[in-house]
Amino acid sequence: MALSDLDLPDASVLETASLAEGVAELFAARVPGLAVIDASDRVLGVLSERDVLRAVFPGYLAEIRHTAFLPDEASPLEELAVRARDRPVRDFMRPSELLRVQDSQIHAAERLMHSGEDALPVVDGDRFVGMLSVAALCHARLDRPPGA
Amino acid sequence: MLIADVSADATLQRCAFRRIVSTRVYLLAVVIFAVALSALAFDWAHRTKIALGGAAAMVVIGVLDQEQAIEAIDWPTLGLLAGMMVIVALTEPTGVFTYVALKATQISRGNPVALVFLLAVMTGVLSAFLDNLTSILLVVPITLLIADILRIPPIPLVLVQVLASNIGGTATLIGDPPNILIGSRRPELSFMDFIVNLAPVATFTLLVVSALLAFVYRSRLRPAPERARQIESLDPTRDLREAKKVKRTLAVLLGTIVAFFLHGLLHIEPSVVALVGATVMLFVAADDVEDALGRVEWSTLLFFLGLFVMVGGLVEQGVVTDVAEWLTDLTDGSRTAEGMVILWGSAAGSAMVDNIPFTTAMLPVVESIQGEEFDDGLWWALALGACFGGNATLIAAAANVAATGILERTGNRVSFFQFLVIGLPITIVSLLIATAYLLLFQL
Repeated sequence: MALSDLDLPDASVLETASLAEGVAELFAARVPGLAVIDASDRVLGVLSERDVLRAVFPGYLAEIRHTAFLPDEASPLEELAVRARDRPVRDFMRPSELLRVQDSQIHAAERLMHSGEDALPVVDGDRFVGMLSVAALCHARLDRPPGA
Repeated sequence: MLIADVSADATLQRCAFRRIVSTRVYLLAVVIFAVALSALAFDWAHRTKIALGGAAAMVVIGVLDQEQAIEAIDWPTLGLLAGMMVIVALTEPTGVFTYVALKATQISRGNPVALVFLLAVMTGVLSAFLDNLTSILLVVPITLLIADILRIPPIPLVLVQVLASNIGGTATLIGDPPNILIGSRRPELSFMDFIVNLAPVATFTLLVVSALLAFVYRSRLRPAPERARQIESLDPTRDLREAKKVKRTLAVLLGTIVAFFLHGLLHIEPSVVALVGATVMLFVAADDVEDALGRVEWSTLLFFLGLFVMVGGLVEQGVVTDVAEWLTDLTDGSRTAEGMVILWGSAAGSAMVDNIPFTTAMLPVVESIQGEEFDDGLWWALALGACFGGNATLIAAAANVAATGILERTGNRVSFFQFLVIGLPITIVSLLIATAYLLLFQL
């Protein structure tokens, strides 16, 4: 069964969109990552929930393990969020590998495992088709009748 | 008669050919090493690739053979580094380092001079007993958090810690890679020998440098009173209380440090102390051995391995002996002059190419200079020069590169020149103190 058989959500954002718009789309699309595309629907990268987390909260948190003592008002979180809000999503996206519509589901599962991403863009030629998330792939697999 | 002449000619030709080949290999060894050092200094590729590439080139070209390459590797240094990496990686989840940094900041009560002194001393002491690179990786993220809460610029605070870590690390055998290299190469020098001969001068230098840095940064690091009060209201013990296995983990860490102090008496090598400590730590604190061993910086260990092979090539070709003879001629055999040349030369060399490869290359040179009779004064000169020299430039020590890397990832870029402006004067002051110390007590 190829990825073209799945109903893939058009979870994408233009590279020039602001981070706030990107996060709103991420929240609405209910996928763990968006494809960042240009005007010709070409995929430039991905913007995942973790990328957004690092953009909105201080980067050094990724290097500290102990912050239970820290209340929100201690760190200038609002200033950081204000600074990030209007910057374009291309500043926060990362390069991503791409899946093709003709790829098999088992190949997609293997790529999701090895890439460490929770969602990967699927393309037809060089045009973006939709995002494949781990949940969507597993849901399709479990919903499939035995032997189908 | 004719046959004898032909035979003599052939012998002469063979000798001349061998001389040409050996001169070429000698030059190739020097060129490979020089290119590798330049590549490291200019950051042309990852340092592990450069070191392994240089080592592979030397073996393939025949600068040294396979057996000589394996013999050139200083396994005790690799064992010591790997053991300490495991110990620190498993201690970090206890939250003890966050606790210490936050407590030091709270004690300063918003006074910038006290803040600089306390963070410098804390980093210096951690560096002495954990190694400076690890200490910097542990404390810099917490310092960024502290600067954020106090709303003061993070770069001066981190620079204070970097400079303090290189000075504090000078105090012990395990505090700074140059000392680890020296201690592993010369088993005559115990952990206590390093403490007795280097800790006093390192402590004095740390205090002088902290005073200078506090003077320079006093106006930039003054927080608003309400920010200082906010940090005082935080409870740094909370994470410590919530962490698991804190007592057991800290007991193993302290036990390992005590064993370092006693290793000379117990006739156990420092590398064995570190590896036994790491093994006990794995039993006590590691739920997942794969995860714990995954935190060993294998690329750093392979970087050292490549350096050892390259320097082994220089030794095999006689380059090291030639440098040592040149230095002995330069100093006219005077022990005092030799010590001073090693001190200032190591600092200059470390500033240009990183103190780890420079010290690795200098070990056989110092051995050659001292000759048959062991002379610890020359080794202390090398340790002080390479460790203090690590403060001169951004690339002079691994801790500098690591700290500025974290700063850059969080949007606080430190340029080479920006580091030099503060690092070079501090290095010169430190070397002047080291010069006085060596002249008065060692040379």
